[in-house]
Amino acid sequence: MIEVRNLTKKYGDRMAVNGISFTVNRGEILGFLGQNGAGKTTTMKVLTCFMAATSGTASVAGYDVFENPLEVKKRIGYLPETPPLYLELLVSEYLSFVADLKNIPSKQRKSRMDVVLEQCHLTDVRHRLIGNLSKGYRQRVGLAQALMHDPEVLILDEPTIGLDPKQVSEARALIKSLRAQKTVIYSTHILSEVAATCDRIIVIDAGKIVAQEAINSLGATGAVTKTEIIVQKMNDQLISAIKEIRGVKNVHPISNGANRIIVESEAREDLMAEISRAVVNQNVGLIRMSPVHLALEEYYLDLIGGRRTTT
Amino acid sequence: MSGVKAIVKKELRTYFYSPTAYVIIGLFLLIMGVIFTKFVAIYHQYNAAQRFGQAQGITLDKLATYLYQNMAFILCFVTPFLTMRLFAEEKRQQTLELLFTAPIRSFELVFGKFAAAYLLMIMMVALSFLYALFMILWGNPELPIIASTYLGLLLALACYIALGALISAMTSSQAIAAIWTFIALLMLWLLQSLAQGLTAKLGPIELGPTLVYISPLGHFNSFSEGLIHVKDVVYFISFTAFTLFLTHRVVESNRWR
Repeated sequence: MIEVRNLTKKYGDRMAVNGISFTVNRGEILGFLGQNGAGKTTTMKVLTCFMAATSGTASVAGYDVFENPLEVKKRIGYLPETPPLYLELLVSEYLSFVADLKNIPSKQRKSRMDVVLEQCHLTDVRHRLIGNLSKGYRQRVGLAQALMHDPEVLILDEPTIGLDPKQVSEARALIKSLRAQKTVIYSTHILSEVAATCDRIIVIDAGKIVAQEAINSLGATGAVTKTEIIVQKMNDQLISAIKEIRGVKNVHPISNGANRIIVESEAREDLMAEISRAVVNQNVGLIRMSPVHLALEEYYLDLIGGRRTTT
Repeated sequence: MSGVKAIVKKELRTYFYSPTAYVIIGLFLLIMGVIFTKFVAIYHQYNAAQRFGQAQGITLDKLATYLYQNMAFILCFVTPFLTMRLFAEEKRQQTLELLFTAPIRSFELVFGKFAAAYLLMIMMVALSFLYALFMILWGNPELPIIASTYLGLLLALACYIALGALISAMTSSQAIAAIWTFIALLMLWLLQSLAQGLTAKLGPIELGPTLVYISPLGHFNSFSEGLIHVKDVVYFISFTAFTLFLTHRVVESNRWR
């Protein structure tokens, strides 16, 4: 549905997006993950024909964003980082302007408007001035704008920013409800959000894609797995006994009163059995032994590891 | 063309939702009203004096010519208030993203913005027909002159609005757009006097006729005297078209930065 090839965008001398390539299949929800300034917004702006790329190509539904922008724009609903709202208009007036802009046939206009208002929980505020609405409502008006012409592709730039927890979960539910009907690209730097809504993620850092994979394969990344062991009595023999096992890479005793040990080892089931036997043989009172799933957060920080700066 | 319609509709709505349109139209009519009364008073004085053979009278047509020449100048001050927000406000509110990602072409956007401001301007100027009506009711002015004056106004105002739109597209601050539009219009308007002044001081200068030609003053004045020259029509239309073309380029350039 969406195909990006070697996309590069420079702002003057600054490289914002550096030769990224990816595809998004029809009906997929793609999480676009990255720090501030990593190039998420720029990529989205190119995809929505708002900006021209310095080099590379991008196409939506088979139409090139540069050659055939009108066809692309007809198929895309875009919610920018700052919702593009006219504060002096009523919600209904704004949406009818959007309907005009997107050339929705007059017959469907009213029903489309009702559907969108309902979807975004805006029916109650349709006759209020956008300028008087709270941030959360404004964000939803922005989302309604993107959905207005029932586009095949939705591009949402940090859609849940500024929403309260209830609204966030509503927005997520809305996006999830679009699964299979629409192709969604969804940028965020909130990791739990990606885990909750997306099928697949692309992690972008400093203008480059550093990882892309399906969300449920994230935990098992790499050949290394971590195991957490909690015992009653901690002693040095225990640690050296575990270290001696072939396949164990590293043992971190955590002795803040909890008697915890984190074992890094190769991901093999027989290795688990061997470790447990070693612990039991030491007679230290095994309380718990469980695999630690590599959390999304950790994975993400690992990826952009050395580059972490204060942003 | 549906894009143009959408933009015009929204722009006019915005003008009339805020006090802008009302304040501007009100002020314009107030100033024009004061000038008109003053002119009528002078007209009376002269004609009374003429009856006693003391001075030369002025005709009603001359009065109308002066009135409309003043109006064309005053509209230089009014234009910036109508055009300043066209693009500057969209940039500030970051709503250009909506317009650029909607399936409309950027010339539709530029033309829609221009058309909306131009329509409002025409509505306002149409109200000034009141003065012509007074002259027709209580005097006997040459109707063709009034007609050619209004044609001249229509053409000149298109230039004003196009120039205002261009400047608004270059900044994201309404105030800056307004000030520069005002300066630009004033400069253009004064170009003719500048050229004439220079010629008077230094003798004929090479650029003199060019400067006079660039200024809208002379072109409008011939309309207000009842003369419709093709060169004046061409001047106004080409000025408007070229300025709108530049506006389109400037708006498009946002996508390349």
